[in-house]
Amino acid sequence: MQALRARGLVKRYESTLAVDGVDLAMPAGEVRGLLGPNGAGKTTLLRMLFGLVRPDDGAIELLGRPLNAPFSIPLEGTGGFVEEPCFYPYLSGRANLELLAQLDGVDPGAVVDELLARVDLHGRAADRVSGYSTGMRQRLGIAAALLRSPRLLLLDEPTSGLDPVGARAVAELVRELSAQGVAVLLSSHLIGELENVCDAYTFLRHGRVVWDGSADRLAAEAPASAFTLHTSDDDRAAAIAAAHRGVRAGRSPRGALAVAVGPEGLDGFSLALGQAGVAIRRLELLVSPLESMFFALTADTEATLHELGPHELAERALAKA
Amino acid sequence: MSAAARHPDVPATATASPTGAVGRVFATERRKLTAQLSTRLLAVVCLAGPFAFAGILKVQSGTPSDSLLGVYVHSSGFAIPLVVLAFAGSWGFPLVAGVLCGDMFSSEDRYGTWKTVLTRSCTRGELFAGKLLAAMTFMTALVALVAVASVLAGVLLVGGQSLVGLGGALISPGHALALVLLSFLICLPAVLAYTSLAVLLSVATRNGIIGVIGPIMVALATQLIDLIGKGVIVHMLMVGSAFNAWTGLLTTTRPFFGPLIVSIGVSLAWIAASVAAAWRLVRSRDFAGTAVGARVGWVAPVRTVAIVVAVIAALALATDLGPVGITRARLTASMAPEFNQVTLLQQQLIGRAVPPDATFYIKPNCFKRAAVSVGPGDWTCTMNVFLPRPGRVAFERSPVDYDVSVASNGCYKAQSPPAFIGGQTMPDARGRSVVNPLYIVYGCFNVL
Repeated sequence: MQALRARGLVKRYESTLAVDGVDLAMPAGEVRGLLGPNGAGKTTLLRMLFGLVRPDDGAIELLGRPLNAPFSIPLEGTGGFVEEPCFYPYLSGRANLELLAQLDGVDPGAVVDELLARVDLHGRAADRVSGYSTGMRQRLGIAAALLRSPRLLLLDEPTSGLDPVGARAVAELVRELSAQGVAVLLSSHLIGELENVCDAYTFLRHGRVVWDGSADRLAAEAPASAFTLHTSDDDRAAAIAAAHRGVRAGRSPRGALAVAVGPEGLDGFSLALGQAGVAIRRLELLVSPLESMFFALTADTEATLHELGPHELAERALAKA
Repeated sequence: MSAAARHPDVPATATASPTGAVGRVFATERRKLTAQLSTRLLAVVCLAGPFAFAGILKVQSGTPSDSLLGVYVHSSGFAIPLVVLAFAGSWGFPLVAGVLCGDMFSSEDRYGTWKTVLTRSCTRGELFAGKLLAAMTFMTALVALVAVASVLAGVLLVGGQSLVGLGGALISPGHALALVLLSFLICLPAVLAYTSLAVLLSVATRNGIIGVIGPIMVALATQLIDLIGKGVIVHMLMVGSAFNAWTGLLTTTRPFFGPLIVSIGVSLAWIAASVAAAWRLVRSRDFAGTAVGARVGWVAPVRTVAIVVAVIAALALATDLGPVGITRARLTASMAPEFNQVTLLQQQLIGRAVPPDATFYIKPNCFKRAAVSVGPGDWTCTMNVFLPRPGRVAFERSPVDYDVSVASNGCYKAQSPPAFIGGQTMPDARGRSVVNPLYIVYGCFNVL
């Protein structure tokens, strides 16, 4: 059984086609990144999956049950939030969780305390939510999403507002839940945070799926990554890069040497530098395969990944450098 | 953050509450409402307000005589809850309904919490039903609180004496208590109609301000419409028409129930229409975007206000429709026995023996201070009392003029200049100062 299956989803707001024939499928335990630039349709898609917005066309199944909004919203087993989590500001964090537990039919007793401790909010649980920071609300949102032990989690920018420690903790939580069979759909534009978490990715652009596949497939199909390169002779290294096939070089605004090179070209380029007597002192990943894929797929052009040449992809990666 | 403590295969719902989803929503709404300062303040006002009102009256000699039975607030504790009820029906209950329920749905827009509650284990229908149930329950509780507080305030601060009813007859304390409580119960459908209207405004405008002040604005419009027009249809169709329905019961000499039955039916129709419209809006709504007032803007509120204003204007223009409720014949037919009753009561109070079935020979002559003697407004009634006397002319005509202010619901206050019937108070047989029942006469008649 698929944890999530969506077929042919369409949503139009007046003259804007927000979601245009999106198909999505997630098996149990999969962590899938939902990526796309602003306005790509990620949030509208999540709202449709939650039953908050009715699709103009298409069908949704959550945990094997069809979602027939708005009369019946079988969200049993499905948790998460869309956009920033919102709570009643005049109630405490604990009271908000107890209230949501009550709505779910869950005995709030020990569950609420356990979840508050898990998201490191137990010290502020008695405070009104109106006094919470964005990060604290985000953590409370994650606790609320876990209240009813979901088997499918839909999370929209879950690390937004969190400090690096908090963001890492969320990533670890997602991996742990995945190991326990929970399917997690993560919508984010913070690509770096998804990179080591997701098993698969779906890229949206202008409401359509422009790429969908596993993390392994993405690594294989991703265009050139970009690196900042610190060598014993940067000028010479730049000249070698210019002469080396599949490698593009340039200077960052701070004067550092940046190169765009695919996985297969990096070995040859480093050997060429060694043969020329140029020592590599430091090689820093500037644009990851996932980021380069994102740039390629979400660029303001109608061309798809396969229509873009490697040089164009490299230019985009270098543009960020 | 660790996920190890709970395995998702072990459902948390193993300890789920046995109550249904509507019950769970009701419980959460109850918790939210009781946590809000406005709800607590309303409860305090409903509890303390009648005591404050009765306390203020106790330390001064004035009376709210424009209100039905208001002149008796110093002589019977049971007049206090009825005066409170008259005020609450005009302004208080619509205000409470707006404050308590006018922001119940729109606050979810303001806080952005629709998506929070709609992504839990309950459907839109269950959420709507639970919220509505909470609104109705809290309003019923507040009405009960006002009723109990005002009865207690009246009895404790004024006393549990007999009450002069709208027909002019004395009502025993036990009977008066039953009638007072029944009167509050009769007003409940109208209170719930205003509650439903507040819910509808809250849903339709997504604006707490309009949801809160909307019901009181409708009450104000109702008061204005009640001042104009001769027809009964529009007046009976107003959302708060049942607030006046209790007066038929207090007219103990000639009780009537037609307006009571019709107005309760009207209230139920308002409830059904408002709830259905609100549910239709919630059911069909797309909950897109976070927010709140800024995003919703003023389009929906302005549109809703325009619709309400148009409806009120149309109703105002239609107030002459239907049969005429206030007629010369009806007022005259009510005033004669009423005057007879209060005259006999006055005679009893001053210690004269009055046979149980004694009657005066009275011929009232009522006319409105307008071209046509129909409709609410200021009337003049001359009560021609024919007193028996010895001699060739058997009766002596003794005219008493009353200025009568008649409302569209058929209730009136008749007041005579002191030169005719004495002042507001008079000494009774034991020398105590009591209300002169002839000074101000309250009455009601059936307008249907």
